[in-house]
Amino acid sequence: MVDTLSLTPAGAAVVENGPASGASAIKAGFAAVASGLHDVVLVTGAERMREVNNLEATDFVATLTHPLAEYIYGVTLPAHAAMFTRLYMERYGVTERHLAMVAVKNQNAAMRNEFAHLHQPITIEGILDSPEAATNNPYVAEPLRFFDACPVSDGGAALLLVSADVAKGIDRPPVRIAGVGQATDTHAVHERTEPTDLLAVRAAAAKSFAMAGLGPDDVDVAELHDAFTILEIVESEEVGFFAKGEGHLALEKGETALGGRIPINVGGGLKGRGHPVGATGVAQAHEIVTQLRGEAGERQVDGAKVGFTCNFGGFGNNVVCLTFVKEA
Amino acid sequence: MAREIYAYRCRRCGTLHYPFRMVCKSCRENDMFEFDPEPLPKKGRLLTFTHVHALPADFDVPRLGLGIVELENGIRITGQLAVEDPMMGMEVTGEVKVVRHTGYEDRYGMVFS
Repeated sequence: MVDTLSLTPAGAAVVENGPASGASAIKAGFAAVASGLHDVVLVTGAERMREVNNLEATDFVATLTHPLAEYIYGVTLPAHAAMFTRLYMERYGVTERHLAMVAVKNQNAAMRNEFAHLHQPITIEGILDSPEAATNNPYVAEPLRFFDACPVSDGGAALLLVSADVAKGIDRPPVRIAGVGQATDTHAVHERTEPTDLLAVRAAAAKSFAMAGLGPDDVDVAELHDAFTILEIVESEEVGFFAKGEGHLALEKGETALGGRIPINVGGGLKGRGHPVGATGVAQAHEIVTQLRGEAGERQVDGAKVGFTCNFGGFGNNVVCLTFVKEA
Repeated sequence: MAREIYAYRCRRCGTLHYPFRMVCKSCRENDMFEFDPEPLPKKGRLLTFTHVHALPADFDVPRLGLGIVELENGIRITGQLAVEDPMMGMEVTGEVKVVRHTGYEDRYGMVFS
């Protein structure tokens, strides 16, 4: 990277934090600029996951699970999401139709994003209701189907973080990182007291909002970590957009679609844009910055001033939430 | 001797942990690894489950049952599930068996039926 971009003698470092690597790198870059240590930091996220076949990639990602208490059994990230989904269905009335609604919303949103991995529109008919749906959309880990999971993607994204002084000399609409929150939860998912809670998401969002002096009701556009359709629904509750157990009801009413009360993943999310693991947190920030600058074209959220990202590591054992504000 | 899976009880406050920790999650004062191992009970209730169809190469089966079980002593464990048509809340019994063969070694874990 240093050679390719001829960046000598700038300092360089690698941040590896699983699926939350991107936002973790932004956090490190933010701290470096905010502390005065550096005044310009280039944060890049990149991953090439399609060097191997999908099952190899799934197995590699599965090494994120607890090595002794989960991984040895064959637990994969889709398996975790499936067991979590079943609990959510039982407790809150989420159905396979709600999951399909997230898939359709986000994958079709990606049609309006030139940077998205998937440019293939889908319908509820095609993935759920038609006789062909069972073939088009088989179970990966019951009750989750193929279209409930993000694709295995190659990709990259970059963000330039600069001090307020440097920003004055740059001819681009400035966006400020107003809040940074990070929180952890137990590694083994079965150890969590309430198995339908994602406490690290809740805590990271609360810290991010507190630092920004804002709340979930102030957010105009959000990027949530929809590696699986269920996660968009649950994160929309845990970060405070909706009450616990009511995210799927807001989804039904269109509140999370472009034009709704709180548009979520209008750039396609991980589902449509793709999930090159190390790049995702940076790509989420890129989407929010594009929105706050009013440069999102057909997918622009009108008048967006406050944006929010949730970058979800492991199965929610390490989460980073960022709050962005458009500078006047 | 029958194989067991162990939970670890904090000598300071009595909290039981599975899997092991080096500092107690409850009192957080136990920093000298003062835990006593005790075998996990085998009977419990199925909290949630899945059948996985897209499996890593180590698993030469068309689909694999996995579940989280709440054991009699309140501790939860993730394990394999050898039940054709599982139901949430059903009673299950575990047995320690080979759960994964990695090509170099057999890994043992809890299989519920």
